[in-house]
Amino acid sequence: MKIKKFAALLKVSVQSMLLSSTNARRKSRKKAATGVGAMVLIGFLGLYMSGLYSAILMGVLAPLHMEVLVFVFMGIGALVGGLLFTTFAVKGVVFGGRDNDLLLSMPVSSSMLMASRVSAIYLENLVFSFFVMVPAGVVCALLSPNGVGRDLLFWVRLMIAAVSLPLLDTALSVLLGALTAFLSAKVSKGALGQNIMMGIFFAAVFYFSFNLNGMIQGLAANAAEVKESLSWAAPLLWMGEGIMGSWLRLLAFVLCCVVPFGLMVFGLGKVYRKAVTAFQARSARHDYKLSAQTFSGQKKSLLRKEARRFFGFPMYFWNAGMGLVLLLAAGIASLFLRDDLLAFVEIAGAGLLLPMAALVIGFCLCTCIISAPSISLEGRYLWILREAPVKEQDLIWIKVGFQLLLSLPCTWAAGICISLALSFPLWQAAVLLAAMSVFAVWQAVFGMLMGLYFPKLDAVNDTVIVKQSMPVMLGMFIPMAVLGISGILYWLGGLAAGWLALLLPIALWALLTALCTAVLVKKGPALLRAL
Amino acid sequence: MLHIEHYTKIYPGGKKAVDNLSLHVSPGEIYGFIGHNGAGKTTTLRAVAGVMDFTEGSIVIDGHDIKKDPVGAKRVTAFLPDNPDIYEFMKGIDYLNFIADLYDISSEQRTADIGKYAGAFELTGSLGSPVGSYSHGMRQKLALISAFIRRPRLLILDEPFVGLDPSASHLMKEFLAELCQGGSAVFFSTHVLEVAEKLCHQIAIIKDGRLIKNGLTAELVGDSSLEDVFLELEGEKE
Repeated sequence: MKIKKFAALLKVSVQSMLLSSTNARRKSRKKAATGVGAMVLIGFLGLYMSGLYSAILMGVLAPLHMEVLVFVFMGIGALVGGLLFTTFAVKGVVFGGRDNDLLLSMPVSSSMLMASRVSAIYLENLVFSFFVMVPAGVVCALLSPNGVGRDLLFWVRLMIAAVSLPLLDTALSVLLGALTAFLSAKVSKGALGQNIMMGIFFAAVFYFSFNLNGMIQGLAANAAEVKESLSWAAPLLWMGEGIMGSWLRLLAFVLCCVVPFGLMVFGLGKVYRKAVTAFQARSARHDYKLSAQTFSGQKKSLLRKEARRFFGFPMYFWNAGMGLVLLLAAGIASLFLRDDLLAFVEIAGAGLLLPMAALVIGFCLCTCIISAPSISLEGRYLWILREAPVKEQDLIWIKVGFQLLLSLPCTWAAGICISLALSFPLWQAAVLLAAMSVFAVWQAVFGMLMGLYFPKLDAVNDTVIVKQSMPVMLGMFIPMAVLGISGILYWLGGLAAGWLALLLPIALWALLTALCTAVLVKKGPALLRAL
Repeated sequence: MLHIEHYTKIYPGGKKAVDNLSLHVSPGEIYGFIGHNGAGKTTTLRAVAGVMDFTEGSIVIDGHDIKKDPVGAKRVTAFLPDNPDIYEFMKGIDYLNFIADLYDISSEQRTADIGKYAGAFELTGSLGSPVGSYSHGMRQKLALISAFIRRPRLLILDEPFVGLDPSASHLMKEFLAELCQGGSAVFFSTHVLEVAEKLCHQIAIIKDGRLIKNGLTAELVGDSSLEDVFLELEGEKE
């Protein structure tokens, strides 16, 4: 009976996360199919990337009989990636669901409700773990000279590791998520506190990633020393050694995952109802004194509303605005790492610099997805905009404009810094700025279109919208795919003439901008009305 | 003030929610709209407010056709849904200013009206807090204040008494009467038949998307009560 109840609660949590990714509940089969297709594409890309990364590592380490390190690095990747994905989800899914009152009033224990929600987070981490660990196993089977990857027991050990690793991930993300929820509930400037905390978290992740990259670069020369230096990641070393054959080490790793998870579930289960109530309870103050109010005007007021939501909702800021941070970071880093970049110029050749700079800025812009989830975020508030005396066209373009208001200056700042660092001639800097401005405009308009075509107005919380909804996925990965196609066009154009290599990608972006703008102008208001 | 002619709403899938509804609301009038759950009341109110598209017919508010001139019609209208969700990331005062900006309300007028209505509903002290910290009743009051400060020509309310305490309900009725004295009109749905009977100049009863009776309250009720008339028309009382 208890298992039945738990399964029902788990199903609700998983459904709420999945539906925001695929829009599968929408009646249009075409849209549902597009959603599933997008998920398959993203899945394929994920497998491809982790397979490629594993193959590069295995190519270096297998001849040194250091396959263990491949699993250690991929395990760290799965752990950090899972943390990045699920820490944001925890506040919404575990502590802040709109169905809290409903479910807490049901005849189920609060610890069971908590366990079902934590299990949903675990399942998400599990998918991430399989996407990283299975390709690593396949690569090991194909490239390792000792043949261990072709043994059935190797795959049993790999599966045990892949199932255990997300337990550790889940325990860590629930703790971080609880801290975030606490900050937003208890600190008067909660959003600011959360933004600072997440800023520190991301800075740590980036610092770690850069160091990891340095370690990988030195792998071929001193793999043994690298392995020694990874003593701080002992459980992951045990995982790698376990997968490669040591059952005892594998057991130690499993315990390292199960024990923290068990403690977290047991501890949180005891205080879950109290925690949910405390994180939600915010009482209104009664000391406001009304003074003269000021007039702002429609457009300014609508823009300010978008800004309040973006900067006041840390999940939105850090998920959708990461590209802005990356753009500024890339620009500043290029100035500080000028010598390294110029050394790279000598290796890569000056001809590749402009497309490389465009690729970096383009990639950062792809992770700036502010307009895509903005319609879904209106959700239950949509009636306010619909009854307002504002043209639908204006509502749509203000949302696009808000993204551009942030992304264009950051694009220009990054473009100017990179141009200075790489000593681009003026015409190249101008081409870079103009081309990336066009890309930024297309990406904002395209995101808005995705938001209108695949809205998720009834999400169980706003976090799943900004983290994994269809518009966000499509708004990020399709521009990335377009960047890839642009690279191919650049190469093809370069076969004929240098100017053609530059012209083809810019022409593609301009064409896409014109096309998406025309569709948004023509169909946008009707789509908004139909929501 | 409000002219609804042959209004029909068919949902995707073919369900006819409202069928050929026509009614007129005059300036200075409070018009009640009653019916069972699912009769088509909310669908009609949402169409009048320009929140929802409709299939056939026309809706004209103060000379503005909601289909041909939606912005003009909305400019003279205020709509309050049955469960008004308000941006939780805004403070109460920010929300009122946001609405005032959308309706181009001057600084002087908004300051005076916010003071008047927030004071009456005893919400002034809480206007500096985020809407997320408000109780259901406080949100309902904030939504009402945001409607009144627009000084609408037509006020559309869907179940406005749900969630309000008795003193707030009383206040709201006073403000509705004041609004109508100024030449505006109120069109609202309710399940509280006693309130409708006392408050409304005219009443329309809708059943399964069709208007089955409308007219002056006094004529409609006669010597009976609105509850008896309603149940009789709905076929639930012999």
